[in-house]
Amino acid sequence: MEIFTVEGAYYTYYNKFPAVVDVSLGIRKGEKFAVIGSNGSGKSTILQILAGLLFPSQGKVFFYDYELSEESLKERDFLRSFRERVGFVFQDSDIQLFCPTVMDELLFGPLQLGMEKSEALERVSEIMQMLKIENLRNRPSYMLSGGEKKRVALGSILTMNPEVLLLDEPTSGLDPKTQVFLLELILALNEAGKTIVIATHDLSLVDEFQFKVAVLSEEHRIEKIGNAEEILKDEDLLLSVNLIHEHIHYHGQTAHTHIHSHYLFHKH
Amino acid sequence: MKNDIPLFLLNTPSSHPPKRGGGKINISYIDKSIESFAGILKESYIQWESASKTGFFHELDTRIKVVFWLFLIVIISLKKELLPELGIFITVFTLVVLSRINLVKFYKKIFLLGFIFGFLISFPSSLNVITHGEVLFPIITLSKPYDFWGYHIPEVIGFTGEGFSVVAMLTLRVLNSLSISFLILYTTPFPEIIKALKVLKVPDTFLIIISLAYKYIFIFARIVVDMHLAKKNRLVSAVKSAEARNWVAGRIAFIFRKTQLKCDDVFKAMVGRGFSGKIKLYQYQKIMGRDWIVGFFLFTLGLLFLWV
Repeated sequence: MEIFTVEGAYYTYYNKFPAVVDVSLGIRKGEKFAVIGSNGSGKSTILQILAGLLFPSQGKVFFYDYELSEESLKERDFLRSFRERVGFVFQDSDIQLFCPTVMDELLFGPLQLGMEKSEALERVSEIMQMLKIENLRNRPSYMLSGGEKKRVALGSILTMNPEVLLLDEPTSGLDPKTQVFLLELILALNEAGKTIVIATHDLSLVDEFQFKVAVLSEEHRIEKIGNAEEILKDEDLLLSVNLIHEHIHYHGQTAHTHIHSHYLFHKH
Repeated sequence: MKNDIPLFLLNTPSSHPPKRGGGKINISYIDKSIESFAGILKESYIQWESASKTGFFHELDTRIKVVFWLFLIVIISLKKELLPELGIFITVFTLVVLSRINLVKFYKKIFLLGFIFGFLISFPSSLNVITHGEVLFPIITLSKPYDFWGYHIPEVIGFTGEGFSVVAMLTLRVLNSLSISFLILYTTPFPEIIKALKVLKVPDTFLIIISLAYKYIFIFARIVVDMHLAKKNRLVSAVKSAEARNWVAGRIAFIFRKTQLKCDDVFKAMVGRGFSGKIKLYQYQKIMGRDWIVGFFLFTLGLLFLWV
């Protein structure tokens, strides 16, 4: 069953800069889906369209069988059922954290859903334990490190228990330990039945978690949709969309050139 | 990791399919205000896009444009006759046409602002209560004239020919000042205008402060729009006005903190690039022959209006 269907979507910033051009894709329930592309290819815009935060100027987006539009999201019941099912974690955690303390941040979602305070508190406590942020309970968000902010931002969405998690560059700017923690968590959440959609240009993520992948070109179009193995083997495709490149480097005294992805095609 | 996941996360959040209906949610005035922040960003791009096109006035040296703008504004304020004001209006119109600017878009804004700040504000002065003269269109006839606090209310109150001239004069002055200012804005990228202020002997430090302020308005407008989207993403119903105001207050504090941090960072970046208290900006290239000729023609025209 497809949870999201995008049909021929276009989006342009300031009526001038195209961000998404004729994009069509489908995301199935429980799937791990990655939108990959170079900087400025439109990954984040696609995620924001799926989250009902931006609306395409042309084309349609469906959540289950319901069209996602500015009008449909003004309907009280639809807005509620959509927002409780779809959680979006922004790349910049700073903009996502707007409550006075970490505790308030995690409580915000459940209270919006009209949950009893005791149940909401229980959820928050469990999430804090899972994310290992119990010690940050009363801290304001501006006194957190980058990794801590990311954990709190994810926690603030998880307390709403969404069916779909949309993650924009989830590992960018994090130290390796936090990255591993976050990725293991994302995988475990997917195994628990959540649909995971990420936007990234990190090919190692795609390989490690075997996502279904949509590759965006620098012209903001979808070049190919396929499984991780199929996409990662297609060096020509990855070169054309600027996700891998040729570079020169030294081995001892010898310089040589080869295709370089910072992960997979670093073959000698 | 799987064992650490709380049980509630393993449950499906809702067994019911998504529902439609439930009545419409009204967009709050705060939402609308934040949307207008997005408008600021859009406007800046439109200004930049329009100013980057090619056209007669676009290609003129910015320093000449800025000095001509100042010169024309002074003439507009000095002249007390309709004819030179009309002449200036026609001159600017010709420059707009030569610069291939969309006339409808350009004059729509100017006429609207001119109507509000020129015509409406000066309209009462067309009455003989304010501007004395021959009444052309009487509107009220009183039983006798009145005098109080040094004011004279005549027996017949109406519009005078002299009053209409004053209104036409003031409206034309506003229209002319707006047209020349918008012409500069439509044909010159804003950073170029700031740099060109150097010819008016505006200190470099002041110019760099204006540039930074202009730049950070857009950076922070973008942050405000993103914060709004992040919040929208976690809202499941309409927000009460009081809650929305609280959120806005919190976000203002956040922006203030972020501004302070950015200020520190910018200062460090400046120090890192050799700043030691005195700012030296890049000097302009020499003014080209074509610019001198056009500049000479424009200033002669200005002097002609001053003389008429």
